[in-house]
Amino acid sequence: MYFSYLSVGKSCLLLQFTDKRFQPVHDLTIGVEFGARMITIDGKQIKLQIWDTAGQESFRSITRSYYRGAAGALLVYDITRRDTFNHLTTWLEDARQHSNSNMVIMLIGNKSDLESRREVKKEEGEAFAREHGLIFMETSAKTASNVEEAFINTAKEIYEKIQEGVFDINNEVTFSTLNTFCLLNQLGGVHGCRKSRFKLSGSK
Amino acid sequence: LHTHKKSVVNKMQQKYWKTKQTLIKVTGKKEDEHVVASDADLDAKLELFHSIQRTCMELLKAIELYQKRICFLSQEENELGKFLRSQGSQDKTRAGKMMQATGKALCFSSQQRLALRTPLSRLYQEVETFRYRAISDTWLTVNRMEQYRTEYRGALLWMKDVSQELDPDLYKQMEKFRKVQAQVRHAKLNFDKLKTDVCQKVDLLGASRCNLLSHVLTTYQTTLLHFWEKTSHTMAAIHESFKGYQPYEFTMLKFHQVSKNNHSALCISLVMPAPAYEAVLLAAIRSSTGEWENSEKIS
Repeated sequence: MYFSYLSVGKSCLLLQFTDKRFQPVHDLTIGVEFGARMITIDGKQIKLQIWDTAGQESFRSITRSYYRGAAGALLVYDITRRDTFNHLTTWLEDARQHSNSNMVIMLIGNKSDLESRREVKKEEGEAFAREHGLIFMETSAKTASNVEEAFINTAKEIYEKIQEGVFDINNEVTFSTLNTFCLLNQLGGVHGCRKSRFKLSGSK
Repeated sequence: LHTHKKSVVNKMQQKYWKTKQTLIKVTGKKEDEHVVASDADLDAKLELFHSIQRTCMELLKAIELYQKRICFLSQEENELGKFLRSQGSQDKTRAGKMMQATGKALCFSSQQRLALRTPLSRLYQEVETFRYRAISDTWLTVNRMEQYRTEYRGALLWMKDVSQELDPDLYKQMEKFRKVQAQVRHAKLNFDKLKTDVCQKVDLLGASRCNLLSHVLTTYQTTLLHFWEKTSHTMAAIHESFKGYQPYEFTMLKFHQVSKNNHSALCISLVMPAPAYEAVLLAAIRSSTGEWENSEKIS
């Protein structure tokens, strides 16, 4: 596809997490795609609903409307492309501006299997995360390294916030009798183009 | 029947959003900045295309005007030459000889100048053909692309609309979203294809115009150089043969009334080498004594 080279691998991360497989070539995400998986936190079964948003610039206004009510986000860049890292600030501002201020954001440096082509050092990712109060991890959607951890740690963080009462779940939940909260998964890319959101719905 | 009804509704909705986008465009309402920004490369190419279109038109007009001016200039030059010759024949001094020789040279130059018209009309024809064929062909592609662009942006508006309250757990909503998503995907595919086509065509258009110009202008340049060589050679020969003649120097010339010939004498003299210049002025003064005021001759 025309812009596929822009991909930092959001859709691949999602596929690895939900289906445990890797597909190197993905169709361009149009608007948003969805994924879901059951996980267990504190002995409770929780359904993660993940929104994988389009990274291409023309969808940006559309994907902004998906931020609303999200409880968490993965902000993803590609460690082999410096430009995707440089655009993180823009994406972060955009996400914070259009979402819940308590939203948990995890910074992900994807494609860690491509060590030989690395352009962004791990320390730089860590420093950025520290500076902006984010959790940080490097993942590989190809080898599945840290993918599980990235999603589950974010979910745990949100779960803790809910336990603390930071999220007013009743207000966030617009459907289903289960406790529902959203996880916004945002990914940086060229022109700051990559983001995907996901929604978590949890049951007690 | 049900699916037929559905597709009719779908078409209606599609038309509605396309019309909405057309209205936004026509009324000049602010469009989604991100959507506009994502077409930046395309819009830059369109800018280039319009510049090619405009400058080709301007070039044609300029060539036409240039052709006319060359004819006028040649006519005037010829008349001036004839005038100098006739004045020269009445003057039995050395100045008379000078005038006659210069007059001859000017007549020669006026004929040679017309040679420029051939490469120029060739250039005109080539640019005209380029405009009719290449530019209008690209223009058609641009128009088709704009239609797909409107469709795509309309579909994006639609998608934005259905995204406002999207819940993947609600089947009804998802069904609608999938329908719009398919529409966006389809429109995007069409648009992206035409987008690539337009970008490639405009690049090709620019390159082929450069190619055309460098080809045709070479002939023009050669002809022009040839013309300059010939005339300057003639002028140089006159200059050589009049060496040692009494030089004239005019410090100030002021005139009230100028006849047609005098006028051209002044105009032409500015582009002529020194001997011709002197001869022209001399002739002008002699032929119209009384019309000139305060003309000083310093030997």
